[in-house]
Amino acid sequence: MPMTCRSPTFCPLAEDGGRPGGAAPAWGAVLDSGALARLAELDPKGQGGLVARVLATYTQSLVKLLDQLAAARTAGDTNALRHVAHTLKSSSASVGALQLSSLCADIERKVREQQTDGLEAQLDEMWREGARVLSALRPGPAGSQRPS
Amino acid sequence: MNDAMSSDDAQSAEAPPRVLLVDDDDVNLMLTATALRERGFEVIEATGGESALERVDEIAPDLIVLDAMMPGIDGFETCHLLRHRAGYAQMPVLMLTGLDDDASIDRAYRAGATDFFVKSTQWSLLAGRLRYMLRASRTRVELERSKFKLARAQDLARMGSFDWRRGDGVGHLWLSAEALRVLGRSPADKVDLRALLRMVGRPQRRGLMRMLGEVVAHNAVLATDVSVVLFDGRQRIIHVEAEAEFEHGHGVGYTGVFQDVTDRRVAEDRIRHLANFDALTGLPNRRQLIWRTERALEQARRLNHNAALLLIDLDRFKNINDTLGHAAGDELLMEVARRLRACVRHSEQVMDGALEAAGSRSHRTLEAVGRLGGDEFVALLPEVSDEADAQRVANRILESLREPIFVAGQECFCTASVGIAMFPRDGLNLVDLMRNSDVAMYAAKSAGRNVAAAYSAHLGGRGREKIELESHLHKAIERDELVLHYQPKIDVRTAKMVGVEALMRWQRGNVLVPPGDFIPLAEETGLIVPLSEWAVREAARQARVWQQSFGFSDSIAVNLPSRLFERSDLVENIHQSVSAYGVPHKAIQLEITENNLMKDLHNVSLSLHRLNEIGVEISIDDFGTGYSSLAYLTTLPISELKIDRSFVRDLGITPQSSAVVSAIIALARSLGLRVIAEGVESLRQMEVLHRLGCVVMQGFLFSRPLPPDDLESWLHQTVLPRKAPWIGAVGEADGSLPRLERA
Repeated sequence: MPMTCRSPTFCPLAEDGGRPGGAAPAWGAVLDSGALARLAELDPKGQGGLVARVLATYTQSLVKLLDQLAAARTAGDTNALRHVAHTLKSSSASVGALQLSSLCADIERKVREQQTDGLEAQLDEMWREGARVLSALRPGPAGSQRPS
Repeated sequence: MNDAMSSDDAQSAEAPPRVLLVDDDDVNLMLTATALRERGFEVIEATGGESALERVDEIAPDLIVLDAMMPGIDGFETCHLLRHRAGYAQMPVLMLTGLDDDASIDRAYRAGATDFFVKSTQWSLLAGRLRYMLRASRTRVELERSKFKLARAQDLARMGSFDWRRGDGVGHLWLSAEALRVLGRSPADKVDLRALLRMVGRPQRRGLMRMLGEVVAHNAVLATDVSVVLFDGRQRIIHVEAEAEFEHGHGVGYTGVFQDVTDRRVAEDRIRHLANFDALTGLPNRRQLIWRTERALEQARRLNHNAALLLIDLDRFKNINDTLGHAAGDELLMEVARRLRACVRHSEQVMDGALEAAGSRSHRTLEAVGRLGGDEFVALLPEVSDEADAQRVANRILESLREPIFVAGQECFCTASVGIAMFPRDGLNLVDLMRNSDVAMYAAKSAGRNVAAAYSAHLGGRGREKIELESHLHKAIERDELVLHYQPKIDVRTAKMVGVEALMRWQRGNVLVPPGDFIPLAEETGLIVPLSEWAVREAARQARVWQQSFGFSDSIAVNLPSRLFERSDLVENIHQSVSAYGVPHKAIQLEITENNLMKDLHNVSLSLHRLNEIGVEISIDDFGTGYSSLAYLTTLPISELKIDRSFVRDLGITPQSSAVVSAIIALARSLGLRVIAEGVESLRQMEVLHRLGCVVMQGFLFSRPLPPDDLESWLHQTVLPRKAPWIGAVGEADGSLPRLERA
């Protein structure tokens, strides 16, 4: 799978407040614009720099959860798997990482219903998508912080 | 929503609602918190169950929003733990769950969450839900508070609520804890309608169920007082008030309250009782009697039947009060009341409401004996078939008083005279009936007391003068207007007094009413009975006085009417009289006329025997004027025959009279009886009598009846000095005459 890295110098905490309406943000292809618009509505005047703060928080959370995903798979801990999928599902939806969110939803359901067929492939897919979103949000070379 | 918003805006102007938001996902936490703050909430964030539980007391939120899925203590567990903490039972808790997660929704409720919310980015919906929850919570708190207040108020008022829903059989009954308490049960008890109805006494239950059936059939308002026996056996009066509940226009049941009104009822009853009942005897008083009588007359008029009023007056109550004291008098009245009450279908309570029911026999509950005051009672018979019916009750009353009453350590006899007035015959209203029963009662007194008399028109028409005389005679005893004069009985052989006869006089003002003017009236009215009784007492007293002053040891003869001999208390009376003055029984001799004796020989003879047994001698007065058959004399314990004055008067004029006198003397001799002649006015009569064998005499020749003091003077001035012309006229010359007196 090709990893997308449009702009290694991108910083989500840029001074422009992360407004999606700003100069062609790098994450535009990864994050759903409608979702971002709704986020922006929470901070209509943009004074709180909300979008930037949310994306920063999401990034930290994503890193942490992807680490947890790898650990859970190694240990075969389905509860932990489910928790990661559940959390990432809703927060990803909030920031507009819709593909990741829907993958997580599917995985969460499968784990809950103890369906194993195709789960491994989906977990791989989730990993890849997570990395893709992360690299779109993170400054610097995405590979350096990718979980191995 | 607009309404809700505006009211919440007003609310938020005071202080923003404080929300504790718990979510392990930082992104969600930040977004949700931001969205809620934007919408006027104060949000405190917590990143997990542990942290939330640790800080919740300090934060004191108005509402808690929990993410369901969290590592460590998740939302469900946090909610569960919160609910078990003091003060958090009613805290509104919103559980955030994922979409299409039915299992979580279910778990959320089971963990005690107030509501759930599917996570979404539609923040307005979340805010709206929170406001709704806060409002509901406030309403709930207020409801709880007012429920508590209501419960407390109901408890204080001994009141409780109930709900009844129609259903199979007796339907479904729900009782509040307070209602159960009213019924003496614990809040945990289950009481269905059947159990409730069983608390009502059997006689009342049927009526109650009929009434409930009617009320329910019409969805009418229910308001009634029910007498119940609680499960612990206490008797209470429960007021039930309820209104029908409707759904889609159909009555589906009732909602209402129970109230224990026993205390109020008891107080009301007490007041009503005090106002309507005689404090001493507990019988209805004059006021209550008037009320009952008026109701009874209304009913009798409407239903066209007879009613009767019986006026009951005790015969010798004053004596008892005077001699034994008022306490004993009260005691006696209470016993009399008890006996009278048993003579009728006495109803303590009148069923007010039931009286209205046309055609019912409820007027029977008016039946009662009441006390007018003093020794006067009234029996009200609301329905009688005829006079005989009333007479039967009157007889029952007389019979009930025949047994002696034990008061102040002794047996008392307290008979009554009963006057009967019939509605409508003797009066159409209360006043007429009362007056005419009084007239009839008077007639009963006249007829010798201890009898009942019905009113009749001629009773009412008696001469005014006679009534006046009678009423004065009634009071003669109390006023000490009666006196006894005494006529000596003389043994002509020794010229000594051997006894006296007591004769009644009425000192009315300055006038000495001669016996002929009032004894017949006394006989007619029955006053002769108390008069005679007084005479016995007075004679006993006089015997005592004379015994002291000149050693009197003979008998004083008192005339008694036969009706007195019929009374079971005669012996007792005499015994009491002589005992009171410490003289022997033989100090009193009783005279009864031959006619009286023969009239009621059977009833009198028993008394005669008993009197004879205690030493009271009996003399037959006016002997020779009555029946020619003298067989009875052999069976009666008689001591003396008194030759009628008519024979004495004619002695020496008609040959028949001396023949009769001879025969009487011969008879007396054969029976071993004394013989005495009365009405002896001349020496010649004395001589003849003496010659025929009669030696004891009485008459104007010796002395007219004298006041006691005069008698004593007469003894001292005439008999002892032997100065009278009759002294020495017979006697010594003829000592061979047979002695007729019994030893």
